[in-house]
Amino acid sequence: MRILGISAHYHDAAAALLVDGMPVAAVQEERLSRHKNDAAFPVAAIEHCLERAGLEAEQLDAVVFYEKPMLKFERILTMALREWPRTFSSFPQAMKNTLGEKLWVKGLIKSWLGVPASKILFAEHHRSHAAAAFLTAPTREAAILTADGVGEWATLTVGRGKRSPEKTTVDLLREIRFPHSLGMLYSTFTAFLGFQVNEGEYKVMGLAAYGTPRFADDVRKVIQRTDDGAFQLVMRFFEYHTTAKRSYSKDFIDLFGAPRAPWEPLDPTSDDGRRFADIAASVQHVLEEILVDMCTRLHDETHLPDLCLGGGVALNGVCNARILRESGFERVFVPPAPGDAGCALGAALLADRVHFGNPDRDFPDHPYWGPDVDPEELARIAREDGLSLTEAATDAELFERLARELHQGKIVGWMDGRTEFGPRALGNRSILSAPHTAEQRDRVNKSIKFREEFRPFAPAVPTEHASTYFDLPPGGHRLARFMSGVFPVREEHRAKLAAVTHVDGTARLQTVDAASAPRFHALIEAYGRVSGVPVVLNTSFNLAGEPIVNRVVEGYSTFRRCGIDLLVAGRYIVTKERAGERSTDLESKEAAE
Amino acid sequence: MRDVEGQLGLPRPAHLRASGLDTLLRPLHRWVWSDAHRCAHKLLRFAETEADGGRDIARAAELTGDGLLRRLYLRHAMDELRHAEMFRTRGRAILVALPRQVAGAEANWLAPGERGLDDLNVDRERDDTLLAFLHLSERAAAMRFAVYSEVLTKDPETREVFDTILRDEAFHMNYTRKQLERVSPRRHGLRLWTARLHRVWKVYLRFAAAFASVMGAVILAVQYFLVLPVFALAAKRASRREPRGWTDTAGKAHPLGTQY
Repeated sequence: MRILGISAHYHDAAAALLVDGMPVAAVQEERLSRHKNDAAFPVAAIEHCLERAGLEAEQLDAVVFYEKPMLKFERILTMALREWPRTFSSFPQAMKNTLGEKLWVKGLIKSWLGVPASKILFAEHHRSHAAAAFLTAPTREAAILTADGVGEWATLTVGRGKRSPEKTTVDLLREIRFPHSLGMLYSTFTAFLGFQVNEGEYKVMGLAAYGTPRFADDVRKVIQRTDDGAFQLVMRFFEYHTTAKRSYSKDFIDLFGAPRAPWEPLDPTSDDGRRFADIAASVQHVLEEILVDMCTRLHDETHLPDLCLGGGVALNGVCNARILRESGFERVFVPPAPGDAGCALGAALLADRVHFGNPDRDFPDHPYWGPDVDPEELARIAREDGLSLTEAATDAELFERLARELHQGKIVGWMDGRTEFGPRALGNRSILSAPHTAEQRDRVNKSIKFREEFRPFAPAVPTEHASTYFDLPPGGHRLARFMSGVFPVREEHRAKLAAVTHVDGTARLQTVDAASAPRFHALIEAYGRVSGVPVVLNTSFNLAGEPIVNRVVEGYSTFRRCGIDLLVAGRYIVTKERAGERSTDLESKEAAE
Repeated sequence: MRDVEGQLGLPRPAHLRASGLDTLLRPLHRWVWSDAHRCAHKLLRFAETEADGGRDIARAAELTGDGLLRRLYLRHAMDELRHAEMFRTRGRAILVALPRQVAGAEANWLAPGERGLDDLNVDRERDDTLLAFLHLSERAAAMRFAVYSEVLTKDPETREVFDTILRDEAFHMNYTRKQLERVSPRRHGLRLWTARLHRVWKVYLRFAAAFASVMGAVILAVQYFLVLPVFALAAKRASRREPRGWTDTAGKAHPLGTQY
């Protein structure tokens, strides 16, 4: 069967294609449209998936949308009614948004793809998350927990999944419903701390390490536990359910003090900066406390060794690591795309395995499902622009040279194979650097990423060396596979891993496995031979405000606009030295006169 | 990051001065820029616009098949990034020195930034149409920045930011015009007129969309107050009966065949 999964309209639009139960392609629309967090109907992503499989849309057996639009509309309308008349300002906008396009998904799919209505299916939002987490994990049976801002009504669900040759099930046992939401709680604090919602949550997590949770009791005033082990938000502290303008209320400000304006510099050593860091630490602490408790209860209930986490909250690596350490589960699986983009894949898998009852298949355990790079394109552009271009004779020669360059402090733009599916660069579209000094971290920050100094960079390490440098609990290697856990750097290695060690001595590492990423693995090993430490700093290949690069030409454009020293695709290496005699300045002057 | 004037020796051209309309509106511009909070927030807004513009131009560099244009676009994109940083730094510096205050209206319709009222879908443009668009855009921005510079007599630091950026705009205007003549030697005049008409059409579309949006909001607001209260009462009563905590969903999965 050929099944296309689609997620769209809120954030992170994506498409994923399964043929006979196996993934052929999965890609976020932003990687192709080049608009960060592109939520538009993913036409380009769909085209890529079909092209990759050599299919026409009419050959599809089913198209699955990742949520139920009518159920979502019911929630939006019900909330507008419940909070009447406070929803006066948000109601017209919400109706225009929903009635304008988002409600008519079936028609949209029919008109874009030309498939009959009978082939169009709709999965529930959190079931799509659950399927994306469980059906991509190497486990036969697992407990499942999904948490995000909101789907249709659910904001958090727990359940269990079972795969067997006869039957696959993904059952959600209970849910917490909007407006009570851990995702919305965290996003509210994200907005309060002056960061962009759905974008700045990482920053809250990074900032939390600088603070102490002295406001934890205040956070517990806005989110209270219920007798059955769930939670409930005290809605007088929030406004996200009544207006789109602001998510926190005046009572929230009375409790936590003045919010931070987005333009205000954030220095965790200043008085205000410390308050903001302490607030970040407090909400992080309470989030962990609640999720660890829920997972512990789920473990006690299911007695299963494995837990699959899905939804945007599963991007919180600090929390994931605590769940692994404290909840009783032996292994915790987080897919590379736990957010809404991953729902495209989840919805397709759910349709294939559960709705159509097709036989269970092991899902390939890697995130590389996007478009390929074309190294020849890099060679052509570099020649045209007169830049220094070299081609290594073998992979080994390439890795040896790159290892030497990295060791000398050079920053490398690395493009290899197919783009990762999900928000993280996992070694196919990465900017790499030596991980040893704080100065190198600052250089990457100032010349490339232009981001806040309190945000840490991530290390990538071959799986077999991970325990040497990082203090990993049982199951930690697995959780770190897609950069989903934050773990302590071993004390004796912190000095030589200063660029990737956060202020609290931790790192959000990626364990790199030779089977799934052989060239990236070999490069890090080569770096280890040169430097004595087989660890590299790995950050996503993009500039602030842009999506991660996809094609070579986008990597090249990024390389030219920032402080990356070498650009690599295939065996080609480009540097900014000019091969010809004409300077760009002279050329620019001539071009303007 | 380099200063184009410093590198290329291009002076600020004499024709880079405020348009007739902007000259007439100078008292209004002076009022807009006289308030420090508003000025700072406008600069921060300009920073975003410049950064967005830089991304568009970088995208153009990625899409063009013309090597020279690619190099020029990349240089242009880097200039825009630098401008964004200059605006951001100055806006923040002003705000940090002021007491905390909620920003007033920014008057963006009266005093927009570069491409503040234009939008661009780079992926759909050809080299010649894009160059024509960029040329007009840069020219309009340069004339606007010239009037801002003229009215900022009491704020020499902000004025210096505009003056520096203006010199870059001169380069951008020049290269886009020259390159348009190169890639479309016979039709560059037509391309410019088409781009001008396109801008007018887009302004009309924007006004039409804004008007439709206001009309829609008014109709929905009337319905909100006339039709919804009865249902709101029922919804409020129903919500009070909702249990706290978990909602049991075991065995209640919705089939995939329905949108409900």
